[in-house]
Amino acid sequence: MTIPSRKFLSLALSVLLFAALLFWMYNALAGSFGAIAENHYKKAAEAAMGSVPSKDEAIGGWIRRISGPSREFDLLFLKGFPEDEGGMKVFAPTPGLGDFFAHHGKDPDFARGIESAMYDEIYQPEQRFLLGGEERRVLFAPAHDGETGDVTGTAVFLFSPGGFDRFLFLLRGLFLLALVLFAAVFAVAGYSRDPITGYVILGLFTLVGVFVAYPLFEAVRLTFLQDGKFSLETWKSILTTRQYVTALKGSITLGAFTATASTMVGFLFAFVISRTKVRGKKFFSAMATLPIISPPFSLTLSIILLFGNNGLITKQILGLENFTIYGLGGLTLVQTMGMFPIAFLTMVGILEAIDSTLEDAALNLRATRWETFKTVTLPLSVPGLLSSWLLVFTNSLADFANPLILSGSFRVLSVESYMEVTGMNRLGHGAALSLLLLLPTLSAFLAQRYWVSRKSYVTVTGKPSGRMTELVSPGVKRILVTLMVLIVLFLFSLYGTIIAGCFVKNWGIDYTFSLANFREAFERGWRVLLDTLTLAGAATPIAGILAMIAALVLARKKFPCKRLLDMLILTPFALPGTLVGISYILAFNKAPLILVGTAAIIVINYVIRELPVGVEGGLASLKQIDPAIEEAASDLGADTPTVFRTIVLPLIRPAFISSLSYTFVRSMTAVSAVIFLISAKWYHLTVLIYNFSENLRFGLASVLATTLIVIVLLTFGLLRLVVRKNENLAKTMSI
Amino acid sequence: MENISKSVTLENVWKVFQDPQSGKDITAVEQADFVIAPGELVTLLGPSGCGKTTTLRMIAGFELPTRGRVLIGSEDITYLPPNRRDTAMVFQSYGLFPHMNVFDNVAYGLRLRKMPEKEISEKVMRFLGMVGLDTLAKRPPSRLSGGQQQRVALARSLIVEPAVLLLDEPLSNLDALLREQMRVEIRRIQKSLGITAAYVTHDRVEAMSLSDRIIVMNKGKIVQIGSPHQVYRDPASAFVAGFIGKVAFLPAEVAGVDEHCTVRVRGRTFTLPRFSPDLKAGDSALVMCRPESLTLLPPGEGILDGKVTTNVYLGHSIESFVSTEMGEILVQVDNPDARQIFAEGEPVSVSFIPELTKALPPEE
Ligand SMILES: Nc1ncnc2c1ncn2[C@@H]1O[C@H](COP(=O)(O)OP(=O)(O)OP(=O)(O)O)[C@@H](O)[C@H]1O
Ligand SMILES: [Mg+2]
Repeated sequence: MTIPSRKFLSLALSVLLFAALLFWMYNALAGSFGAIAENHYKKAAEAAMGSVPSKDEAIGGWIRRISGPSREFDLLFLKGFPEDEGGMKVFAPTPGLGDFFAHHGKDPDFARGIESAMYDEIYQPEQRFLLGGEERRVLFAPAHDGETGDVTGTAVFLFSPGGFDRFLFLLRGLFLLALVLFAAVFAVAGYSRDPITGYVILGLFTLVGVFVAYPLFEAVRLTFLQDGKFSLETWKSILTTRQYVTALKGSITLGAFTATASTMVGFLFAFVISRTKVRGKKFFSAMATLPIISPPFSLTLSIILLFGNNGLITKQILGLENFTIYGLGGLTLVQTMGMFPIAFLTMVGILEAIDSTLEDAALNLRATRWETFKTVTLPLSVPGLLSSWLLVFTNSLADFANPLILSGSFRVLSVESYMEVTGMNRLGHGAALSLLLLLPTLSAFLAQRYWVSRKSYVTVTGKPSGRMTELVSPGVKRILVTLMVLIVLFLFSLYGTIIAGCFVKNWGIDYTFSLANFREAFERGWRVLLDTLTLAGAATPIAGILAMIAALVLARKKFPCKRLLDMLILTPFALPGTLVGISYILAFNKAPLILVGTAAIIVINYVIRELPVGVEGGLASLKQIDPAIEEAASDLGADTPTVFRTIVLPLIRPAFISSLSYTFVRSMTAVSAVIFLISAKWYHLTVLIYNFSENLRFGLASVLATTLIVIVLLTFGLLRLVVRKNENLAKTMSI
Repeated sequence: MENISKSVTLENVWKVFQDPQSGKDITAVEQADFVIAPGELVTLLGPSGCGKTTTLRMIAGFELPTRGRVLIGSEDITYLPPNRRDTAMVFQSYGLFPHMNVFDNVAYGLRLRKMPEKEISEKVMRFLGMVGLDTLAKRPPSRLSGGQQQRVALARSLIVEPAVLLLDEPLSNLDALLREQMRVEIRRIQKSLGITAAYVTHDRVEAMSLSDRIIVMNKGKIVQIGSPHQVYRDPASAFVAGFIGKVAFLPAEVAGVDEHCTVRVRGRTFTLPRFSPDLKAGDSALVMCRPESLTLLPPGEGILDGKVTTNVYLGHSIESFVSTEMGEILVQVDNPDARQIFAEGEPVSVSFIPELTKALPPEE
């Protein structure tokens, strides 16, 4: 590319100038902080050196006393001077310090130090010494007798400069960062024909760099550290301890069970709805999508109310004694109820796209209905079945809320990693466990995305024929529909139970009607509800706008490392929430970014986690829009922000609003990541539901769960009202 | 309306794309070097994929040249983003804003320029009147016919009074009749406003009837720049000759070159006034014959014997298709009433009028 070299020169020059300025500032700062540190050392030394006991026996205790509490330094005391008749006596509180003096006692620095002390002067050499493998700064100070005030010997202080060094390291990092940022901004301003887009891209990179890549890196790094040094200890312990291996197996078993059951249920619904003439299709398909928006803990809660140790069905009706719903069975049931909609939605798309003339053709060739199903319909839906299975599998592995309450003695990784972090305070183990979770999740995700989706047979074969021949005999159809109705009834009873739970005095013991739960739940949960609404409300517009901007940039602009940005933005979608939560507390509980405990970290976490879905939605709708429309606007004089505001945003409004409501709902019902990030100041409703359930206050939990369900339903109702199908847009967009 | 027309200059402009899959280089435009004079309408003509759109998009600012400079007037605008250039483009797919009605579409550019709403309204209606759409101002673009949409796009571009108007196959979505009407309309408006215009098409009739000059492109390179008459009568190469109109090529051998070119065709010698400067004595060459430069003679009297397969009577002329050993040749017989006519199936001999032909080197 022919770029005017004058421009390049001026860019290089200004970056150099800025670098020089930064370097000068760094030096000045480092120097003055060095001086402060030195002063600090001297003060400490002077304070300590006023009152050396005269008796040798007391010296050991004296040393321990002044170097004891702060642990800021080690102290070696040399009584007398080499020229004295008695010679010099060495008091070393530890053998390590004794060795140290034996080793370095003859160094020129020591000779000078002792000489200075004799003349009542402090001496601090530049050189650093090693004590037990650790760097120390050494300071020689004169020690004065407590009674006479005479100089009686030399006190050798060994300060550990760790804090100061860490500070310098941080300072260096910050200045380097400033330089990189400055160079980037300058390069964009100078080179890009569209600086605003340049800044937006830079901003997006910074965002995902700081809030996706950095925390992940910190999490991975921590698993390879032991006492600040590289070590494989954590991983060794993870991979050899029975408990953890059991949890890994548990997660995979549960995932496989749930995925298989959900795919079967999802296929049942999808097949009956799209391939037979059954009445009430709309109703069934609404029922089959409803659980996808049920808040965490809600289904678990009602399962416990019905089948728990004190459950309505198990205890009150059947009077079972040894039955337990806690464990693999109960979890599979709850997860299947909650996740079969994923399979249903995937399958319905696939089945509806299969042209039924293919089936007619098979029937026409004298295949029986069963043979047709076996040889045409089923093979054509295999990619869909695989997709559904993998999607549900990853969701089940990442699920945290259900196993948290319902796993009993059954172990899964997501809960295990939470326990490691909150129960044992072993962050490294927690991080490693959730990273372990990433392995099957990520491979399933990638398999779905790059393998199954490529194998799709679905072809657009002209107009789908309106008529369709039913592939099932009336008898079979009756069985299928009955099954479906049973499942729907079960779902109803689950939701009904939660609502009933709100109005019952004490579930399991006293079933009298009462409104006391409402009063207590809102008394104790009102502030938390407001917190939750505030946080979700703050994240929603940010995530929505950001998603649309990112989609526009990814769809329409050319820039280096676009694939990387795309990948980093989409990564959080594949990450289990526990991993995100753990990596956030790791990364943002220390300098340079201390965010733990603030509302910001929760909002950022929401934004980052919900961005991928919004971006995908935006990209999908931008694909429908002729780029010439935006080009025409820019050709008429609109700059990029104006094009975004007046053209792009109105055109992708449905995607924008869906992204808004999606973010809001997901943030209202978040749990797996946010449970790590909440603080006394900023709490989350789902965690409160969990706390109530843990304390067996099911009535209160039911009230809050119902509240969440109502909020979610209201949000989606609102969404439906706002995004009405716009005929004009739909028509012109498919140019 | 006063319009200070400006020239458009491309100086040694290249555009190399990277194939997104293989990462290989695709040279879309190679060494484009031309000037469009103020107020002139120039067409970029060439087969599909030859780089016409890319050239236009570099003038508009949607693509950055890999090498070279683009100037409007005397100002170097190579690095200027599209929204700061004084160009307006009419897109092949129109690019109308689907969420705005006709009026708002046309007013868009004026609103960006912060014109008072009253003036906008007055000016938009005037321009809509100019393209015959003043009654449809409130319609959304989705409820307009193709031709109406095209005119909205034109009005939207013209209303900002650009120094340069760029049109990318604006008529390709229209039916034949409408295309002809719009062609005339565009030319009329462009002339009356005195706007410099670059017009992309791969339809040679459109190019011939519309332009002051034609730039013929092939495989990213400019192969000839000239008036419609020049490229038709005096094409630079056999490719241009073939692309610009119906043509028959007779193989020949160059006997000698002075200010004329002497060629031997099937044993007979002709002197041609027009010839490619690349030709030297002894080279093989092609004699480019347009249908109207060919004549029909009784068998044995011409150069090439054949048989009339079809006669198409057009009133002022007859188009005779003659099958010969060199394939089917189209001969246009003007003023048929004054000539000997050969009926379908009759044997004939084809000859040519040397003054109306040109000797060209054969294509590799
Ligand atoms: N963004 C791009 N990336 C890669 N290659 C491109 C891009 N745009 C154009 N090309 C290639 O550059 C060449 C010229 O394309 P261009 O669109 O200019 O052709 P054209 O002359 O307008 O053709 P048509 O008459 O079909 O519109 C083609 O080979 C095309 O494939
Ligand atoms: Mg084109």
